[in-house]
Amino acid sequence: MRAKVSIRLRSTAVLASLVLAAATGAALAHHSFAMFDMEHPIEISGTVKEFKFVSPHTLLILEVKGADGIVKDWTLEGGAPGNLVREGMTAKSLKPGDEITATINPLHSGAEGGSYQPLAIKFKNGTPVAQPK
Amino acid sequence: MLFKSMICFIALGAAAIARPAAAQQPFDESRYPDFAGQWEGMGRLGVFDQTKPPGRGQQAPLTPEYQAIFEANLADVAKGGFGDDPVYTCIPEGMPRATTLVLPMEIVVTRNTTYMLMEYLSMLRRVYTDGRDFPTDEDPSWMGYSVGKWVDPDSSGRFTALEVETRNLKNPRTFDPSGIPVHKDAETIVKERFYLDQANHDILHDEVTVFDHALTHPWTVLKNMKRERKPIWVESICSEGNVHVNIGGQHYMINGDGELMPSMKDQPPPSLKHFNQTKN
Repeated sequence: MRAKVSIRLRSTAVLASLVLAAATGAALAHHSFAMFDMEHPIEISGTVKEFKFVSPHTLLILEVKGADGIVKDWTLEGGAPGNLVREGMTAKSLKPGDEITATINPLHSGAEGGSYQPLAIKFKNGTPVAQPK
Repeated sequence: MLFKSMICFIALGAAAIARPAAAQQPFDESRYPDFAGQWEGMGRLGVFDQTKPPGRGQQAPLTPEYQAIFEANLADVAKGGFGDDPVYTCIPEGMPRATTLVLPMEIVVTRNTTYMLMEYLSMLRRVYTDGRDFPTDEDPSWMGYSVGKWVDPDSSGRFTALEVETRNLKNPRTFDPSGIPVHKDAETIVKERFYLDQANHDILHDEVTVFDHALTHPWTVLKNMKRERKPIWVESICSEGNVHVNIGGQHYMINGDGELMPSMKDQPPPSLKHFNQTKN
């Protein structure tokens, strides 16, 4: 039961600078994130297949429908659990079936993967996923 | 019997004399600065000098030979690789890179040892303050062997700083994720001075000076940390979910279904010559 999912690829200069600024914090902390295109973020919408709250980086597996109508899994790498907890996310923030929109930094290789920032994910109704204390 | 008792007495006395002086003093907590609590790094993350931009912006004083290695690392990182940075495979950061706190650290001061418990990658530093010297037969390690000394510059009876020297380090290590290299001889020496900010005791400073043959001169940076009074601690076990692998010197990612993905454009797959492959 896959809900309607869509992918919208759009580059936004303002968004790029915001995401880049955020990424230079937690993201660059463990390893270089140069494999991800930090200058050309894209927005994708999909259904959460799995949210792995694991070290060294959390993983968000998102089912995303492409322009061709084919649904593919996107593997999105985020900050460490310790970073996310302090930014207002926990292991229970996302569950399979949740419909979300996220601004991500895609892999340079073109494979279905990228990096995400907690503050750049929203539920379908517009509510931010991260709830900073 | 009397002879045996005398031998015992002499042996005990000799052991007491042989113990380092610091170990014999009673532990008076009030003499030490308040380093307790959770310390969170301030300034830029993922860089060694947290006042400067990453990569070349760090202005690391590298010798020409090691500047060339660094440039090669930068070129690899620009393509989506990791250069010589070993941490993506879950090798601990080691010293001095661990002083850049990716995640917070707790400091526990005891009479003979000060422990620095780093949340990130569960790294642990033991700083021996019992007056011992560096060992000559220890195997090297990523965190190294640290000997410390509490200092009381004005002889007030209260210590104001902890000076630490770390040696016996193990490679591979880099200064940061961009691949600023340390020398292949692994003879890095790190000298530090920890002290509380005079105006704000919830700020801790760590003045770090690195001596390394990859550098033209010692590299000194100041790390600043702020104290969190209501800490949250999160376990950090790197092998739990690391999706980055190095196969044949190439970096690949593993997707949610456990399949290998390229990290660079047009990257060839790894060799499968040891697998039975069915031709379609």
